[in-house]
Amino acid sequence: MSRLSLAALAESAVLWHADALASPIGAVLATGHAALDAQLPGGGWPVGAMVEILQAQSGQNEWRLLLPALAHARPGPVVLVGAPHVPFGPGLAAQGLASERLLWIATAEPASRMWACEQALRCTDVVAVLAWLPQARSEQLRRLNVAAAEHAKLLFVMRPAQVQTESSPAPLRVLVSLQPGNDGVQLEILKRRGPPLTRPIHLAARNGRLAALLSRNQGQAASRPERGVLVTLPTDCAVESANALDRITNAS
Amino acid sequence: MHWIALQTRPDAAPTVANRGTPVDAILALGWWALQFTPRVAQAGDAVVFEVSDSDRLFGGRQQLIEQVLASSLQLGPVKVAQAPTSLVALAQLQLDPADYRGPDRLPLATLPQAREHLPTLKRLGCTLWGDLRALPRGGVARRFGAGLLDGLDRAYGLKPEVYTWLQIPEVFDVPLELFAQVETAPALMFAAHRLLSQLRIWLQTRQRGIVAMELVWEMDARRNTATHGQLLVRTAEPTRDMQHMQRLLAENLARITLPAPVLYLRLRSVETAPLPGVSDSLLPDELLDGDNLNHLLERLSARLGKDCVLQVMPYADHRPERMQIWADFCKESKDSKADRPSTTPVSFAATKKRKIKVAAGPQTDRLLYPTWLLAAPLKLAVRDDRPLYQGPLALLAGPQRLEAAWWDVADVQPALAGSGKPLAVLRDYFLARSEPAGLLWIYRERLTGAQQEAEPTNRSTNRQEASHWYLQGLFG
Repeated sequence: MSRLSLAALAESAVLWHADALASPIGAVLATGHAALDAQLPGGGWPVGAMVEILQAQSGQNEWRLLLPALAHARPGPVVLVGAPHVPFGPGLAAQGLASERLLWIATAEPASRMWACEQALRCTDVVAVLAWLPQARSEQLRRLNVAAAEHAKLLFVMRPAQVQTESSPAPLRVLVSLQPGNDGVQLEILKRRGPPLTRPIHLAARNGRLAALLSRNQGQAASRPERGVLVTLPTDCAVESANALDRITNAS
Repeated sequence: MHWIALQTRPDAAPTVANRGTPVDAILALGWWALQFTPRVAQAGDAVVFEVSDSDRLFGGRQQLIEQVLASSLQLGPVKVAQAPTSLVALAQLQLDPADYRGPDRLPLATLPQAREHLPTLKRLGCTLWGDLRALPRGGVARRFGAGLLDGLDRAYGLKPEVYTWLQIPEVFDVPLELFAQVETAPALMFAAHRLLSQLRIWLQTRQRGIVAMELVWEMDARRNTATHGQLLVRTAEPTRDMQHMQRLLAENLARITLPAPVLYLRLRSVETAPLPGVSDSLLPDELLDGDNLNHLLERLSARLGKDCVLQVMPYADHRPERMQIWADFCKESKDSKADRPSTTPVSFAATKKRKIKVAAGPQTDRLLYPTWLLAAPLKLAVRDDRPLYQGPLALLAGPQRLEAAWWDVADVQPALAGSGKPLAVLRDYFLARSEPAGLLWIYRERLTGAQQEAEPTNRSTNRQEASHWYLQGLFG
């Protein structure tokens, strides 16, 4: 092979240097977390490729990771396949994911979930598919990955943390765990188009309102651990004190 | 004028393609021809249609003929002939196409009006159309009557041809006799496919889209079971997309077991709605990749069941568990379009138009809501006055007091009110964190007034013992 064609290949998106992040093959969607964006090829969730999110308990962290991106994606339905709990529409709507965009396919059977995912990926109007597939096999995931690439959809597959040692066709695998001692999350990128990430990423990943409330109370909890029911800090914080939680914290 | 005549080959052996023939095969041919021109007529066992006025629409005569010939291949074995008049076209059907050398060389047997006079004409030495035409008109008229000359004039285009044009019925109802007995419901799809392609033509001609259709099958009466079975298939928006209807039909048929072999099928349009045709886009960007949302929803609910495909509706209530209703998308659309019970169009647009009223306070407060809700509040164990969920919980913020639904208690029947299960909600909400499970939304249930009176000792001695903790949401 001539040097020229090698150079051309190196410039194309399919090949990347092992010590640098790849340029993305398709479009990306900013995650809304700057620290995470910096570590992802192209600076966001890949559109048209499977993203695997591994965590110890399903339902624990996915919304806080994905909501900022979904809120800024193009308007259109977001399909939830086999969610572990009931998605709380008002809570999601407040964080930017309008409830009329939610479509929940509540099926327990692994084969049905797989089929529903594939059908949803094929639909033009659908923007993103969030699938909880604890029992998926590698070849099934490969099929979904191909479908996502073919129809350029966001596809997030939630799986238990135990499967991190198994091989997976997903070009991006993220292991999410809770930070001990505080409310943040810790992300380990197990696989990406780029060099392996040695240090985990720490994210607060809470909306501003909740973060402000928690941070005020966090200090109080540390200073007065003996109190069962927490009542905290008079602050000059800018958050409007309309909510009962704020009034209590400000009054004490 | 340019006429095309069409006839099913009588000698055609039944093949997979034409397995199961519509009972009225000529009518099916006629409907097929209606896509090219409205001037379609039945002539004996053939169909003739005049296409000269459709030239421009199809991009010229040559293009049109090519299209007719190409799409006639789908009909199975058919003979096609074309000529300036219908009688010549019909005559050609009875010949080998290679034998045709102008109308004068056609045998007289192919002219319908000459059939009764054939022996006489033959004795006169007339065997071809040209021979008859060469005879003096006056003599022919006196000897054979005006009918023969009339036919001859029409065949040569000297007189207009008169036909009653084929009309498409108001309701699509086409029976189909199956080529062989069908034992399993999914196998009916082969035959149903044929009916669907006919339905597509019917819809196209009437400029309508199907909303509901019914497939009826007639079973072997010798088995002492039901003789009929039927399947109603509905779709959200009027469509002419037979691929979608076929998928819906297949999903539904897959769940049916037939008690006896099926002999006849019948497809009926139950409900249709006007649907104008759409122009194809010139720009490649606008071509849709994949299928549309309604089709997806219908396909999912056809296979998984209606109660598996859910959409959320906000509901004005203070109780978190009542703030939303997850309902199947069909129900939602029926409710919102209650004034139009005849159709059930579903769309996300319909949901958007609904006026959403949510009781909770300003938008920022709703940022403190969790993202997951438990299907039912989970009662938590309590140790040392502190709730436990995967270990002890640290309460981070609260309480936020919620008192709601006392108005429901007043309405309730006395029997239910006395059952000790209060409907009124008296809760103090807390944000709590568990090391393994993350941030949780829990509440402590406070006793209602009635309960406090019933258990005065409990309240006075130890309030904490009487309180129950529940986990209701997760900040996932």
